[in-house]
Amino acid sequence: MNEINQTVTEADLHAYADGQLPDQARGRIEAWLSDNPDDAARVAEWTARNADIRSLFAAYEKSTDADIGLVTGRRQPASWSKRLATMAAIIAIFGLGALSGHYGPTLFERPDLQLTELETLPNEARNAFLVYAGEVRHPVEVFANEEAHLATWLGKRLAVQDLKVPNLQELGFKLVGGRLLPVDGGPGAMFMYEDQAGERLTVLVGRNADNRSTSFRFASSGNIETFYWIDGELGYAVTGEVSRDVLRKVAEECYRQFPS
Amino acid sequence: MKTPGQDTFEGQILALLPSLRRYSRSLTRSDADGEDLLQDCVEKVLARRGQWRGLNLRGWVLTIMTNLYRNGRRQTDRAPFVELDNAEDTVSVDPAPDPLERSRLEDALNSLSEENRSVLMLVVIEGYTYQEVATALDIPIGTVMSRLSRARQRIGERMKADNVITLRRPK
Repeated sequence: MNEINQTVTEADLHAYADGQLPDQARGRIEAWLSDNPDDAARVAEWTARNADIRSLFAAYEKSTDADIGLVTGRRQPASWSKRLATMAAIIAIFGLGALSGHYGPTLFERPDLQLTELETLPNEARNAFLVYAGEVRHPVEVFANEEAHLATWLGKRLAVQDLKVPNLQELGFKLVGGRLLPVDGGPGAMFMYEDQAGERLTVLVGRNADNRSTSFRFASSGNIETFYWIDGELGYAVTGEVSRDVLRKVAEECYRQFPS
Repeated sequence: MKTPGQDTFEGQILALLPSLRRYSRSLTRSDADGEDLLQDCVEKVLARRGQWRGLNLRGWVLTIMTNLYRNGRRQTDRAPFVELDNAEDTVSVDPAPDPLERSRLEDALNSLSEENRSVLMLVVIEGYTYQEVATALDIPIGTVMSRLSRARQRIGERMKADNVITLRRPK
């Protein structure tokens, strides 16, 4: 039995995950997998990922109105190769610009390091928390009694239709209010909450066209924890001096309530 | 515009377009790039129709598209040109439960080399056997296996960044 099983290679495992083995060979691999949990986990991961990849692109299997034009030669302008040519032209122009900048007078000082919002967001969120959460009398500009106005106002500044102020009552946090503040060089929104003991946390929202969606990440600084994520062009950060577990629930709740 | 007859060359290509669209999108980083690659491929296929030997049209077209993709991508620098497409451009028939998980998977796919990505997609999206991939790309089957293995390893690494905690939007 073992002698046969020893011939199982990584290629066999791939073939098994991809459904490329005849039944007889499948049985042999299954016997191997039941004795080798590491391989079984790998194969399970590959199989699940195959399904995820298919699901990711399944919706693209469709026809469009332009299809007939495509096969009859009446195609639309911009094409793959033209876009590459455009890219090359852009790179060339930037190259010229860089050269003239090198030899000519310095018009623009380029910042040493360009940080993306993903990198700046946790810091901005922590700073906003530090500055405003400690405020007793003026923690926010618009208080919770004008929640509808707050949502419309900040939604407009962020260009988010139907911005909803997240409701965190179930987690024991009541809305204090919100304010406008700069996030990543543009208008951003901050919402503040507090629990019965007066413990506060803040939710920061900012927009950047260069953003790319990410998963949730956390950052710690002293006792202050921040959970942040980017969904489309909007960056979100939840900050507080509370346990990571509580903050994570808050982040999850905000993510659920903010429009995707 | 007149619809080409089903048994004409154009008509057969037309029938293949939906699945070609899916494959081209699976190779590229955005909807716009996917459409562009598809258009270039169809243009090339129409221009080269005399070279088709009359068998397995689909396989012939997929090989042309894969080569276009690999050649095209090599001409640009490796800087990822990322586009956020308009929401109305994306169709979601069967969305994965968590949009962030989807985008992490796309990021991981975008980190693959053209060689590894095209092998993976021919196997996963097109359901090619390893031997068919080897034939289509004119590479030894051992190379197919090593590219597939590298693609999967890379995706696995990208998907488990250690400061990332995956949350699922509760339903």
